[in-house]
Amino acid sequence: MTHVPVTYKGGIYRHDEIIDLIEDLGGYIIQKHVIAQEIVLQALVPREDIELIRRIGKPLTGDITPSPLVGTEIAVVSPSLEIHHLPHASCDVAEYIRRFGAKTNMVGLARGFGKRIAQLNDEERDVINEHDLAVYLLGDFEACIERKFPVLRRGIDVPIVLCGGPPTEALREIIDPPVDGYVGGIGRFMHRTKESEEIEKLEEVVREITRVMDRHREELARDPLSISPARLMDIIAENVEEIHDVLSPTPITVQMRGLRVKLPYDTFAPVIRKTAVDEGVTIGDLAAVSPSRMRDYILVRIKPFSETNLVL
Amino acid sequence: MEPVEYFEVECPEPVGREYYRKIADVVLLDHNLLRVIHKLHIFIDPNVPIFVATGVTKKLPGVVRVRDFADVSEREGRVTISIGDEAYLSFLLRILWDRFGKERVNQPDRFTVVLAPGEGEEVDIADLPVFDPSESIFKDLIYALQVIQPEGFKVRRQFYGKNRFYLVASEDTLPENIEDLVRQKFSLMGVEA
Repeated sequence: MTHVPVTYKGGIYRHDEIIDLIEDLGGYIIQKHVIAQEIVLQALVPREDIELIRRIGKPLTGDITPSPLVGTEIAVVSPSLEIHHLPHASCDVAEYIRRFGAKTNMVGLARGFGKRIAQLNDEERDVINEHDLAVYLLGDFEACIERKFPVLRRGIDVPIVLCGGPPTEALREIIDPPVDGYVGGIGRFMHRTKESEEIEKLEEVVREITRVMDRHREELARDPLSISPARLMDIIAENVEEIHDVLSPTPITVQMRGLRVKLPYDTFAPVIRKTAVDEGVTIGDLAAVSPSRMRDYILVRIKPFSETNLVL
Repeated sequence: MEPVEYFEVECPEPVGREYYRKIADVVLLDHNLLRVIHKLHIFIDPNVPIFVATGVTKKLPGVVRVRDFADVSEREGRVTISIGDEAYLSFLLRILWDRFGKERVNQPDRFTVVLAPGEGEEVDIADLPVFDPSESIFKDLIYALQVIQPEGFKVRRQFYGKNRFYLVASEDTLPENIEDLVRQKFSLMGVEA
């Protein structure tokens, strides 16, 4: 059964029926937003059942659309969180990616600005590496990007999509070794993106991220994970009561290779490790449970089949 | 509103130049500064790296005195100031407190200030200078130019006077002959530094 990332939007009336339906079909609800009278569900559902959900949702004014980035956590890296990059450029991109289902975190570097003086510290490096992908939003000058990008990418082992002011071809030429994706023509700007060509640029960023993610998924499929992250999320939600007291919008954030659980590490890591997945198999057997560099959270990295010889 | 007479961005990278032209335009518009700028020339060389902004301001309104925004009347040794435009009130109060002390400056309501000057003390409140717009415009201009400049250029030199202003910024130590460069950029606008 292959799961497809989708977004369901519909009225709040009888929406629990849709949630039950998705769960009964073997799908997973990743995130649920209630916005006034509307509900937005980000879910992974079996490919063959999309039509069924659409048919049942129709009388409830529901619509289901593919959202290629549901179940991914993306870092949007900006040289700083100063007015030079915020709110436009960084926020506009982060917000637009979110519409396609991704969970985005903005990473503002402490000393990422400038050309010669740009730096990336170990905490920033580790935080970026905890994501599925990093989108770097750099400035408008080729000379600067060429000089500072090698410093900003040092130690980053997740796929990178580089955005900058110069045209895509120019970016491709100056970056060595190459990164996974490039989007030119979106560098530093100080106004809100609302013209159609600016929106088209944001679409291009999403297309590039989706392309990189799809390739990454294919690579993952060669040595599949021992358990799907969405299923692991359900198991933790069922067995660890305290997760329901967490006020964060996503108490458990689903990533492509694991989860971020927003509970204190020292207290809950042993509990999560010992949680049973199946008879005789615990989460500790299938995944590495480690402290996250983000606050006091727990990072769960699922091991591949080649390491555990198990697929559940 | 008179348009800006001269507005150029000079940069060895043509793509970057276009972006920075747009950035400068948006920032100055947002900060409501296009009305005070007469000419502006921005030079950016990311290879050095250096940022030079030189410009000429329009004629600015003069110093604001008490009589420009308030009525002053004197009766039985007490001076009553009726405030017309509250925008300058805080500046005025600060000056009055410093000169007379808080105990002799009374404010029975929001728009009235009553002074009780001492015996024989000369009080010429109506002509008292309260606010100099050129000071705040200088601060606003320099702030806007810092927003326009590429981020991370922490070494700066700035100047404002005789309707001219400039801001030079870099992340490295500024070269010694920076004044020559500034003069050269002023001459491009047909203005003497």
